[in-house]
Amino acid sequence: MAKILLVEDDDLVRDMLTQVLQRASHTVTCATNGEDAAEYLKKEMPDIMVTDIIMPKKSGITLISEVKNRHPEMEIIAISGGGRLDPTGYLDLSESLGASVSFEKPVDNTALLMAIDLLLHGKKEKVE
Amino acid sequence: MTLLEERKWLPHLVGGIGIFLSLLVWGVLEYWLETQLPFTPFLHTYHPWLILIVGIAISILLAATISNAQVAHQRELRLQQMNEELQKEINERINAEESRQKLEIALLQGQKLQAMGTLAGGIAHDFNNILYAIVGYVEMAREDVDKESLIYTNLGKVLEATQRGRDLVARILAFSRRQHHQFEAIQLKPTIEAALALLQPTIPASVMLHFEATVDPMILGNQTQLHQVLVNIINNAVDAMDAEGEIRIRLDRMPPGHPLLKHLPALPGQNYCKIEIKDTGHGMDPHTMKRIFEPFFTTKEVGKGTGLGLSIAHSIIKEHQGEIIVTSKLGHGTTFEILLPEYKAA
Repeated sequence: MAKILLVEDDDLVRDMLTQVLQRASHTVTCATNGEDAAEYLKKEMPDIMVTDIIMPKKSGITLISEVKNRHPEMEIIAISGGGRLDPTGYLDLSESLGASVSFEKPVDNTALLMAIDLLLHGKKEKVE
Repeated sequence: MTLLEERKWLPHLVGGIGIFLSLLVWGVLEYWLETQLPFTPFLHTYHPWLILIVGIAISILLAATISNAQVAHQRELRLQQMNEELQKEINERINAEESRQKLEIALLQGQKLQAMGTLAGGIAHDFNNILYAIVGYVEMAREDVDKESLIYTNLGKVLEATQRGRDLVARILAFSRRQHHQFEAIQLKPTIEAALALLQPTIPASVMLHFEATVDPMILGNQTQLHQVLVNIINNAVDAMDAEGEIRIRLDRMPPGHPLLKHLPALPGQNYCKIEIKDTGHGMDPHTMKRIFEPFFTTKEVGKGTGLGLSIAHSIIKEHQGEIIVTSKLGHGTTFEILLPEYKAA
Protein backbone atom coordinates (compact mmCIF):
# COMPACT_ATOMS: atom_id res chain seq x y z
CA MET A 1 0.00 0.00 0.00
CA ALA A 2 2.17 2.83 1.25
CA LYS A 3 5.81 3.34 2.01
CA ILE A 4 5.96 4.71 5.53
CA LEU A 5 8.85 6.13 7.53
CA LEU A 6 8.21 5.59 11.23
CA VAL A 7 10.25 7.81 13.57
CA GLU A 8 9.94 6.78 17.20
CA ASP A 9 12.52 6.47 19.97
CA ASP A 10 10.52 4.17 22.24
CA ASP A 11 11.28 0.53 21.29
CA LEU A 12 7.95 -0.85 22.48
CA VAL A 13 5.89 1.74 20.63
CA ARG A 14 8.06 1.50 17.52
CA ASP A 15 7.78 -2.30 17.32
CA MET A 16 4.07 -2.22 18.03
CA LEU A 17 3.39 0.46 15.42
CA THR A 18 5.55 -1.39 12.86
CA GLN A 19 3.38 -4.47 13.34
CA VAL A 20 0.16 -2.44 13.17
CA LEU A 21 1.25 -0.75 9.93
CA GLN A 22 2.57 -3.95 8.40
CA ARG A 23 -0.69 -5.73 9.22
CA ALA A 24 -2.40 -3.04 7.19
CA SER A 25 -0.07 -3.98 4.30
CA HIS A 26 2.15 -0.92 4.49
CA THR A 27 5.92 -1.04 4.02
CA VAL A 28 7.58 0.36 7.11
CA THR A 29 11.07 1.75 7.64
CA CYS A 30 12.02 2.73 11.15
CA ALA A 31 14.23 5.48 12.55
CA THR A 32 14.90 5.91 16.26
CA ASN A 33 15.34 9.68 16.24
CA GLY A 34 15.06 12.79 14.08
CA GLU A 35 18.66 12.68 12.97
CA ASP A 36 18.46 9.12 11.62
CA ALA A 37 15.20 10.02 9.91
CA ALA A 38 16.79 13.06 8.21
CA GLU A 39 19.66 10.84 7.02
CA TYR A 40 17.22 8.30 5.58
CA LEU A 41 15.24 11.05 3.81
CA LYS A 42 18.40 12.11 1.95
CA LYS A 43 18.34 8.73 0.16
CA GLU A 44 14.72 7.62 0.15
CA MET A 45 11.36 9.30 -0.22
CA PRO A 46 8.49 7.65 1.65
CA ASP A 47 4.80 8.39 0.99
CA ILE A 48 4.13 9.27 4.58
CA MET A 49 6.23 10.01 7.62
CA VAL A 50 4.82 9.12 11.05
CA THR A 51 6.87 10.83 13.74
CA ASP A 52 7.00 11.12 17.47
CA ILE A 53 7.80 14.57 18.89
CA ILE A 54 10.01 14.17 21.95
CA MET A 55 13.09 12.29 20.79
CA PRO A 56 16.83 12.45 21.46
CA LYS A 57 19.32 14.10 19.04
CA LYS A 58 16.69 15.79 16.89
CA SER A 59 13.11 16.38 18.00
CA GLY A 60 10.04 15.72 15.89
CA ILE A 61 9.32 19.46 15.75
CA THR A 62 12.72 20.21 14.15
CA LEU A 63 12.36 17.21 11.86
CA ILE A 64 8.90 18.28 10.64
CA SER A 65 10.10 21.82 10.02
CA GLU A 66 13.17 20.63 8.02
CA VAL A 67 11.25 18.02 6.05
CA LYS A 68 8.52 20.47 5.12
CA ASN A 69 11.16 22.94 3.88
CA ARG A 70 12.82 20.34 1.66
CA HIS A 71 9.81 18.25 0.69
CA PRO A 72 6.65 20.35 1.01
CA GLU A 73 4.59 17.58 -0.62
CA MET A 74 5.47 15.01 2.07
CA GLU A 75 2.53 13.95 4.23
CA ILE A 76 3.43 13.92 7.89
CA ILE A 77 1.56 12.44 10.83
CA ALA A 78 2.71 13.62 14.26
CA ILE A 79 2.12 11.64 17.45
CA SER A 80 2.92 12.81 20.97
CA GLY A 81 2.47 11.85 24.58
CA GLY A 82 3.44 15.25 25.94
CA GLY A 83 6.48 16.35 27.88
CA ARG A 84 7.26 19.91 28.81
CA LEU A 85 3.99 20.86 27.14
CA ASP A 86 0.85 18.77 27.14
CA PRO A 87 0.39 16.56 24.04
CA THR A 88 -2.01 18.99 22.36
CA GLY A 89 0.55 21.76 22.73
CA TYR A 90 3.13 19.81 20.71
CA LEU A 91 0.57 18.61 18.23
CA ASP A 92 -0.77 22.12 17.57
CA LEU A 93 2.80 23.21 16.99
CA SER A 94 3.56 20.33 14.66
CA GLU A 95 0.40 21.01 12.63
CA SER A 96 1.31 24.67 12.37
CA LEU A 97 4.69 23.57 10.97
CA GLY A 98 3.04 21.45 8.31
CA ALA A 99 2.06 18.06 9.75
CA SER A 100 -1.13 16.92 8.00
CA VAL A 101 -2.63 15.13 10.98
CA SER A 102 -1.65 14.72 14.61
CA PHE A 103 -2.58 12.22 17.30
CA GLU A 104 -2.26 12.23 21.04
CA LYS A 105 -0.74 9.09 22.60
CA PRO A 106 -2.12 6.55 23.32
CA VAL A 107 -3.26 6.73 19.70
CA ASP A 108 -6.39 5.01 18.41
CA ASN A 109 -4.66 2.84 15.79
CA THR A 110 -7.83 2.43 13.73
CA ALA A 111 -8.00 6.21 13.40
CA LEU A 112 -4.28 6.31 12.54
CA LEU A 113 -4.72 3.73 9.75
CA MET A 114 -7.75 5.61 8.48
CA ALA A 115 -5.77 8.85 8.40
CA ILE A 116 -2.98 7.13 6.43
CA ASP A 117 -5.53 5.85 3.90
CA LEU A 118 -7.12 9.28 3.56
CA LEU A 119 -3.76 10.97 3.07
CA LEU A 120 -2.74 8.38 0.47
CA HIS A 121 -6.08 8.80 -1.27
CA GLY A 122 -5.65 12.58 -1.32
CA LYS A 123 -2.15 12.18 -2.71
CA LYS A 124 -3.37 9.95 -5.50
CA GLU A 125 -6.09 12.43 -6.34
CA LYS A 126 -3.49 15.17 -6.55
CA VAL A 127 -1.33 13.04 -8.90
CA GLU A 128 -4.30 12.12 -11.09
CA MET B 1 -12.33 62.92 86.33
CA THR B 2 -14.32 64.21 83.37
CA LEU B 3 -14.51 67.63 85.08
CA LEU B 4 -10.72 67.79 85.05
CA GLU B 5 -10.26 66.76 81.45
CA GLU B 6 -9.59 69.51 78.93
CA ARG B 7 -10.61 72.30 81.34
CA LYS B 8 -7.43 74.32 81.73
CA TRP B 9 -9.32 77.32 83.11
CA LEU B 10 -10.64 75.31 86.09
CA PRO B 11 -7.72 75.96 88.54
CA HIS B 12 -7.83 79.68 87.71
CA LEU B 13 -11.56 79.76 88.24
CA VAL B 14 -11.40 77.88 91.53
CA GLY B 15 -8.45 80.04 92.72
CA GLY B 16 -10.21 83.22 91.57
CA ILE B 17 -13.48 82.31 93.27
CA GLY B 18 -11.56 81.40 96.45
CA ILE B 19 -9.66 84.70 96.49
CA PHE B 20 -12.85 86.59 95.67
CA LEU B 21 -14.70 84.90 98.52
CA SER B 22 -11.76 85.54 100.87
CA LEU B 23 -11.78 89.24 99.92
CA LEU B 24 -15.54 89.34 100.34
CA VAL B 25 -15.35 87.80 103.80
CA TRP B 26 -12.47 90.11 104.69
CA GLY B 27 -14.45 93.18 103.49
CA VAL B 28 -17.57 92.15 105.37
CA LEU B 29 -15.61 91.47 108.53
CA GLU B 30 -13.61 94.70 108.24
CA TYR B 31 -16.67 96.77 107.65
CA TRP B 32 -19.44 95.12 109.58
CA LEU B 33 -17.77 93.57 112.57
CA GLU B 34 -15.48 96.49 113.35
CA THR B 35 -18.25 99.05 113.07
CA GLN B 36 -20.99 97.01 114.72
CA LEU B 37 -19.11 94.82 117.10
CA PRO B 38 -15.67 96.39 117.60
CA PHE B 39 -14.82 94.71 120.83
CA THR B 40 -15.76 91.10 120.22
CA PRO B 41 -13.17 88.51 121.25
CA PHE B 42 -13.53 86.96 117.80
CA LEU B 43 -11.73 89.87 116.20
CA HIS B 44 -8.94 89.65 118.71
CA THR B 45 -8.35 86.02 117.86
CA TYR B 46 -9.23 85.90 114.13
CA HIS B 47 -8.38 89.25 112.64
CA PRO B 48 -9.93 89.76 109.14
CA TRP B 49 -6.44 90.05 107.66
CA LEU B 50 -5.59 86.61 108.95
CA ILE B 51 -8.82 85.18 107.53
CA LEU B 52 -8.00 86.82 104.19
CA ILE B 53 -4.52 85.37 104.11
CA VAL B 54 -5.75 81.90 105.07
CA GLY B 55 -8.55 82.15 102.46
CA ILE B 56 -6.14 83.17 99.73
CA ALA B 57 -3.72 80.43 100.76
CA ILE B 58 -6.49 77.80 100.64
CA SER B 59 -7.64 79.07 97.22
CA ILE B 60 -4.13 78.92 95.80
CA LEU B 61 -3.62 75.45 97.30
CA LEU B 62 -6.91 74.26 95.85
CA ALA B 63 -6.06 75.68 92.40
CA ALA B 64 -2.60 74.09 92.53
CA THR B 65 -4.07 70.72 93.52
CA ILE B 66 -6.56 70.82 90.66
CA SER B 67 -3.82 71.85 88.26
CA ASN B 68 -1.57 68.99 89.45
CA ALA B 69 -4.42 66.50 89.12
CA GLN B 70 -5.01 67.74 85.58
CA VAL B 71 -1.35 67.36 84.66
CA ALA B 72 -1.26 63.87 86.19
CA HIS B 73 -4.40 62.89 84.31
CA GLN B 74 -2.99 64.20 81.04
CA ARG B 75 0.18 62.20 81.59
CA GLU B 76 -1.88 59.13 82.30
CA LEU B 77 -3.86 59.67 79.10
CA ARG B 78 -0.67 60.14 77.08
CA LEU B 79 0.80 56.99 78.59
CA GLN B 80 -2.38 55.07 77.80
CA GLN B 81 -2.28 56.37 74.22
CA MET B 82 1.37 55.38 73.87
CA ASN B 83 0.55 51.93 75.22
CA GLU B 84 -2.25 51.54 72.70
CA GLU B 85 0.02 52.66 69.86
CA LEU B 86 2.69 50.24 71.00
CA GLN B 87 0.16 47.40 71.25
CA LYS B 88 -1.13 48.26 67.77
CA GLU B 89 2.41 48.21 66.38
CA ILE B 90 3.12 44.89 68.09
CA ASN B 91 -0.10 43.43 66.63
CA GLU B 92 0.78 44.75 63.18
CA ARG B 93 4.22 43.20 63.42
CA ILE B 94 2.78 39.90 64.61
CA ASN B 95 0.27 39.94 61.72
CA ALA B 96 2.98 40.83 59.23
CA GLU B 97 5.19 38.06 60.58
CA GLU B 98 2.33 35.55 60.40
CA SER B 99 1.55 36.63 56.83
CA ARG B 100 5.22 36.40 55.92
CA GLN B 101 5.43 32.89 57.37
CA LYS B 102 2.25 31.80 55.61
CA LEU B 103 3.55 33.13 52.31
CA GLU B 104 6.97 31.66 52.82
CA ILE B 105 5.31 28.28 53.23
CA ALA B 106 3.15 28.95 50.17
CA LEU B 107 6.26 29.96 48.19
CA LEU B 108 8.13 26.84 49.23
CA GLN B 109 5.12 24.73 48.34
CA GLY B 110 4.94 26.53 44.99
CA GLN B 111 8.59 25.77 44.22
CA LYS B 112 8.15 22.17 45.27
CA LEU B 113 5.04 21.83 43.15
CA GLN B 114 6.77 23.46 40.19
CA ALA B 115 9.52 20.86 40.40
CA MET B 116 6.93 18.13 40.74
CA GLY B 117 5.08 19.61 37.76
CA THR B 118 8.18 19.19 35.59
CA LEU B 119 8.55 15.65 36.89
CA ALA B 120 4.87 14.95 36.30
CA GLY B 121 5.15 16.16 32.69
CA GLY B 122 8.01 13.70 32.14
CA ILE B 123 6.12 10.88 33.83
CA ALA B 124 3.03 11.62 31.73
CA HIS B 125 5.11 11.43 28.53
CA ASP B 126 6.67 8.08 29.44
CA PHE B 127 3.42 6.74 30.76
CA ASN B 128 1.61 7.62 27.54
CA ASN B 129 4.22 5.66 25.60
CA ILE B 130 3.83 2.65 27.90
CA LEU B 131 0.05 2.82 27.63
CA TYR B 132 0.22 3.14 23.87
CA ALA B 133 2.41 0.04 23.58
CA ILE B 134 0.03 -1.93 25.83
CA VAL B 135 -3.07 -0.76 23.95
CA GLY B 136 -1.49 -1.45 20.55
CA TYR B 137 -0.30 -4.95 21.38
CA VAL B 138 -3.53 -5.88 23.15
CA GLU B 139 -5.62 -4.69 20.20
CA MET B 140 -3.50 -6.76 17.82
CA ALA B 141 -3.72 -9.78 20.10
CA ARG B 142 -7.51 -9.40 20.19
CA GLU B 143 -7.60 -9.43 16.40
CA ASP B 144 -5.86 -12.81 16.50
CA VAL B 145 -8.20 -14.62 18.88
CA ASP B 146 -11.77 -15.82 18.68
CA LYS B 147 -14.19 -13.08 19.68
CA GLU B 148 -16.15 -15.55 21.80
CA SER B 149 -13.08 -16.70 23.74
CA LEU B 150 -12.16 -15.83 27.33
CA ILE B 151 -8.81 -14.49 26.08
CA TYR B 152 -10.67 -11.92 23.96
CA THR B 153 -12.80 -10.85 26.96
CA ASN B 154 -9.81 -10.69 29.30
CA LEU B 155 -7.82 -8.63 26.83
CA GLY B 156 -10.82 -6.29 26.76
CA LYS B 157 -10.36 -5.89 30.53
CA VAL B 158 -6.73 -4.92 29.93
CA LEU B 159 -7.97 -2.21 27.57
CA GLU B 160 -10.41 -1.01 30.23
CA ALA B 161 -7.55 -0.78 32.70
CA THR B 162 -5.52 1.25 30.24
CA GLN B 163 -8.44 3.67 30.00
CA ARG B 164 -8.04 4.33 33.73
CA GLY B 165 -4.35 4.89 33.10
CA ARG B 166 -5.23 7.45 30.41
CA ASP B 167 -7.51 9.31 32.83
CA LEU B 168 -4.76 9.39 35.42
CA VAL B 169 -2.26 10.78 32.92
CA ALA B 170 -4.80 13.44 31.94
CA ARG B 171 -5.06 14.44 35.61
CA ILE B 172 -1.28 14.47 36.03
CA LEU B 173 -1.01 16.73 33.00
CA ALA B 174 -3.71 19.01 34.37
CA PHE B 175 -1.71 19.25 37.59
CA SER B 176 1.55 19.96 35.82
CA ARG B 177 -0.07 23.04 34.29
CA ARG B 178 0.93 22.14 30.81
CA GLN B 179 -2.54 22.67 29.44
CA HIS B 180 -3.34 25.86 27.63
CA HIS B 181 -6.27 27.71 29.06
CA GLN B 182 -7.99 30.71 27.64
CA PHE B 183 -8.13 33.57 30.10
CA GLU B 184 -10.82 36.21 29.87
CA ALA B 185 -12.35 38.91 32.04
CA ILE B 186 -14.93 37.24 34.27
CA GLN B 187 -17.15 38.36 37.12
CA LEU B 188 -16.15 36.39 40.18
CA LYS B 189 -19.48 36.37 42.03
CA PRO B 190 -21.52 34.62 39.28
CA THR B 191 -18.57 32.27 38.71
CA ILE B 192 -18.72 31.16 42.35
CA GLU B 193 -22.51 30.95 42.23
CA ALA B 194 -22.36 28.74 39.14
CA ALA B 195 -19.82 26.42 40.79
CA LEU B 196 -22.02 26.18 43.90
CA ALA B 197 -25.07 25.42 41.76
CA LEU B 198 -23.07 22.58 40.18
CA LEU B 199 -22.06 21.28 43.59
CA GLN B 200 -25.30 21.68 45.50
CA PRO B 201 -27.00 18.48 44.25
CA THR B 202 -23.96 16.39 45.22
CA ILE B 203 -23.72 17.73 48.78
CA PRO B 204 -25.59 15.91 51.56
CA ALA B 205 -28.60 17.83 52.90
CA SER B 206 -27.01 17.80 56.38
CA VAL B 207 -24.15 19.99 55.13
CA MET B 208 -25.16 23.65 54.91
CA LEU B 209 -23.57 25.74 52.19
CA HIS B 210 -23.59 29.53 52.65
CA PHE B 211 -22.30 32.09 50.20
CA GLU B 212 -21.87 35.74 50.95
CA ALA B 213 -20.35 38.38 48.68
CA THR B 214 -19.61 41.93 49.74
CA VAL B 215 -18.30 42.79 46.27
CA ASP B 216 -18.45 41.49 42.71
CA PRO B 217 -14.94 41.97 41.36
CA MET B 218 -13.77 41.15 37.87
CA ILE B 219 -10.70 38.97 37.34
CA LEU B 220 -8.73 37.71 34.37
CA GLY B 221 -9.13 33.97 34.43
CA ASN B 222 -10.65 30.75 33.23
CA GLN B 223 -14.11 30.00 34.52
CA THR B 224 -13.86 26.21 34.11
CA GLN B 225 -10.58 26.12 36.01
CA LEU B 226 -11.98 28.23 38.82
CA HIS B 227 -15.01 25.94 39.01
CA GLN B 228 -12.59 23.06 39.37
CA VAL B 229 -10.78 24.81 42.24
CA LEU B 230 -14.01 25.44 44.14
CA VAL B 231 -15.36 21.96 43.45
CA ASN B 232 -12.13 20.34 44.67
CA ILE B 233 -11.92 22.40 47.86
CA ILE B 234 -15.61 22.11 48.73
CA ASN B 235 -15.69 18.37 48.03
CA ASN B 236 -12.73 17.98 50.37
CA ALA B 237 -14.56 20.05 53.00
CA VAL B 238 -17.63 17.82 52.66
CA ASP B 239 -15.46 14.71 53.06
CA ALA B 240 -13.89 16.25 56.17
CA MET B 241 -17.27 16.59 57.82
CA ASP B 242 -18.36 12.98 58.22
CA ALA B 243 -22.08 13.64 58.33
CA GLU B 244 -23.06 17.21 59.01
CA GLY B 245 -21.61 20.67 59.20
CA GLU B 246 -21.37 24.03 57.57
CA ILE B 247 -19.33 25.46 54.72
CA ARG B 248 -19.14 29.24 54.49
CA ILE B 249 -17.89 30.88 51.34
CA ARG B 250 -17.19 34.58 51.40
CA LEU B 251 -16.06 36.90 48.63
CA ASP B 252 -14.29 40.08 49.73
CA ARG B 253 -11.99 42.74 48.36
CA MET B 254 -8.57 43.20 49.94
CA PRO B 255 -7.44 46.81 49.83
CA PRO B 256 -3.88 47.59 48.72
CA GLY B 257 -1.56 47.66 51.71
CA HIS B 258 -3.14 44.70 53.48
CA PRO B 259 -0.37 42.83 55.39
CA LEU B 260 -0.96 39.67 53.35
CA LEU B 261 -0.57 41.57 50.09
CA LYS B 262 2.74 43.15 51.07
CA HIS B 263 4.35 39.80 50.29
CA LEU B 264 2.52 39.19 47.04
CA PRO B 265 3.89 40.11 43.66
CA ALA B 266 1.07 42.61 43.25
CA LEU B 267 1.26 45.62 41.03
CA PRO B 268 1.40 48.84 43.03
CA GLY B 269 -2.08 49.89 44.01
CA GLN B 270 -3.65 46.73 42.64
CA ASN B 271 -6.63 45.31 44.42
CA TYR B 272 -6.83 41.65 45.26
CA CYS B 273 -10.03 39.82 46.00
CA LYS B 274 -10.32 37.01 48.46
CA ILE B 275 -12.48 33.90 48.35
CA GLU B 276 -12.63 32.38 51.81
CA ILE B 277 -13.91 28.83 52.21
CA LYS B 278 -14.40 27.90 55.83
CA ASP B 279 -15.63 24.50 56.98
CA THR B 280 -16.58 23.03 60.32
CA GLY B 281 -14.91 19.70 59.53
CA HIS B 282 -12.41 17.84 61.66
CA GLY B 283 -9.48 20.01 60.56
CA MET B 284 -5.89 18.93 59.98
CA ASP B 285 -2.75 18.49 62.02
CA PRO B 286 0.28 20.62 61.04
CA HIS B 287 1.93 17.69 59.22
CA THR B 288 -1.09 17.11 56.97
CA MET B 289 -1.51 20.85 56.42
CA LYS B 290 2.10 21.15 55.23
CA ARG B 291 1.58 18.46 52.59
CA ILE B 292 -1.97 19.24 51.56
CA PHE B 293 -1.04 20.68 48.13
CA GLU B 294 1.42 17.93 47.24
CA PRO B 295 0.31 15.73 44.37
CA PHE B 296 -0.77 12.22 45.33
CA PHE B 297 -0.94 13.17 49.01
CA THR B 298 -4.26 11.97 50.38
CA THR B 299 -5.70 11.14 53.76
CA LYS B 300 -8.62 9.33 52.16
CA GLU B 301 -8.98 5.57 51.90
CA VAL B 302 -7.33 3.82 48.99
CA GLY B 303 -9.46 4.25 45.89
CA LYS B 304 -11.45 7.17 47.34
CA GLY B 305 -9.14 9.97 46.34
CA THR B 306 -6.31 10.44 43.88
CA GLY B 307 -4.56 13.08 45.97
CA LEU B 308 -4.55 15.42 43.02
CA GLY B 309 -7.56 17.63 43.77
CA LEU B 310 -5.88 20.25 45.93
CA SER B 311 -2.60 20.21 44.03
CA ILE B 312 -4.58 20.94 40.86
CA ALA B 313 -6.39 23.75 42.72
CA HIS B 314 -3.01 25.12 43.82
CA SER B 315 -1.54 25.07 40.33
CA ILE B 316 -4.66 26.70 38.85
CA ILE B 317 -4.54 29.57 41.36
CA LYS B 318 -0.83 30.04 40.66
CA GLU B 319 -1.64 30.16 36.96
CA HIS B 320 -4.05 32.98 37.79
CA GLN B 321 -1.18 34.90 39.48
CA GLY B 322 -2.91 34.29 42.79
CA GLU B 323 -2.17 32.66 46.09
CA ILE B 324 -3.91 29.94 48.05
CA ILE B 325 -3.39 29.71 51.79
CA VAL B 326 -4.68 27.10 54.18
CA THR B 327 -5.14 27.41 57.93
CA SER B 328 -6.44 24.56 60.02
CA LYS B 329 -6.48 23.11 63.51
CA LEU B 330 -7.33 19.56 64.35
CA GLY B 331 -10.93 19.51 65.55
CA HIS B 332 -11.57 23.13 64.58
CA GLY B 333 -12.20 23.03 60.84
CA THR B 334 -10.21 24.33 57.90
CA THR B 335 -10.09 27.66 56.08
CA PHE B 336 -8.84 28.16 52.54
CA GLU B 337 -8.07 31.70 51.43
CA ILE B 338 -7.77 32.25 47.70
CA LEU B 339 -6.32 35.58 46.65
CA LEU B 340 -6.78 36.66 43.05
CA PRO B 341 -5.66 39.90 41.40
CA GLU B 342 -8.57 42.07 40.40
CA TYR B 343 -8.87 42.97 36.74
CA LYS B 344 -9.54 46.49 35.62
CA ALA B 345 -10.38 46.97 31.96
CA ALA B 346 -8.01 49.45 30.34
